[in-house]
Amino acid sequence: MNEDQDQVLVRRTLRGDRKAFEMIVRKYQQPLLNYVGRMVGERELALDFTQDVFVRAYASLRSFEPRYKFSTWLYKIASNLVIDHWRKKRLPTYSLSGTRDEDGDQLAIDVPTEEPGVSRTFELAEMRKRIETALEKLPGPLRELFVWRHINELSYEEMAEIKGLPVGTIKNRVFQAKEMVRRILEEMS
Amino acid sequence: MSCCPINDIYDYIEGRLPAGRRQEMEGHLKVCPKCRRAAEERRHIAAAASSLPSLEVPADFTDRVMSRIGAAEARFPVWLIILASLSSLLALGSVALIASGENLMGITLGASHSLWEYAKSAAVLTAKVVTLLSLTGKTIQSLLLSAAKGLSMADSLISPALLAVLLGLMTVLVVSLALAARKKISLGDEP
Repeated sequence: MNEDQDQVLVRRTLRGDRKAFEMIVRKYQQPLLNYVGRMVGERELALDFTQDVFVRAYASLRSFEPRYKFSTWLYKIASNLVIDHWRKKRLPTYSLSGTRDEDGDQLAIDVPTEEPGVSRTFELAEMRKRIETALEKLPGPLRELFVWRHINELSYEEMAEIKGLPVGTIKNRVFQAKEMVRRILEEMS
Repeated sequence: MSCCPINDIYDYIEGRLPAGRRQEMEGHLKVCPKCRRAAEERRHIAAAASSLPSLEVPADFTDRVMSRIGAAEARFPVWLIILASLSSLLALGSVALIASGENLMGITLGASHSLWEYAKSAAVLTAKVVTLLSLTGKTIQSLLLSAAKGLSMADSLISPALLAVLLGLMTVLVVSLALAARKKISLGDEP
């Protein structure tokens, strides 16, 4: 189902067709739960938040601007919910557009001469488990980008649209997140 | 070429390097085991991350969302109910006005005129009732005073025993009159 069909479903929903919105829920419940679940950690909470995303989306569907992708609009709602949750729990959040150049600069340097290998040590199944653990240790905003990129397979452009940041900034932060995961895996091996 | 920046390795893995730069990178990777290993490692991690299992969605998830939406729709705010009621009344009034053929000014003047007349009549009636009650009170008071004076004079002229007999006779007379009146009334009621 492509973006055009999403727009059709949105229009049908606005005309009062609840079945159309049900189709939207069925389409996006899995990717949204995959994202929210990794952001909040607890399954029941993740299920509640994912429901909240759809309820909020339905309530404010008239404010959706068709020039944007519907999926990115949903992820934006989800991201705002997650950030509110982090703030309430006083978990560290920081602006992705802020200056964290010391990390960013490390990506511009060449591969270090003595870089211990981690991936060859583990089989794929074990590597997946360790990545899940590493994700929990990642700062929230970087975890979000990592999950969007690898699990939800969003493009840098889509992520930039959701976060309202330049594509270059997002790309840099995603690479930063990947390097951080790699370093955590390195520490675990 | 010198060793690869990490940014370029990621771009290379994701296939985002421009063609010229990619060829350059591939040439370098063939001869540099360190960069080759770094690229392979990051590719392996990316592959594992991209194949992380999905979280299980409960079978009734969609139904739960749709029922929450239904419940939210059913809850109308109070101000909306008041607004809807006022609008409905206004609409009904407009329909009645149009159907009656009257104009709005005429109905408004007629209603205010009637209200004024009712208010005036109510004021006059209230004043009359107050006057009547006041006169009745004064009359009853005079009668009671006269009766008291008469009894005190009789008390001074007649002996107490005779007074008691007279009062007894008067009581019998009043009771007889009351019974006679009741009988008359009940006879009048019979078919």
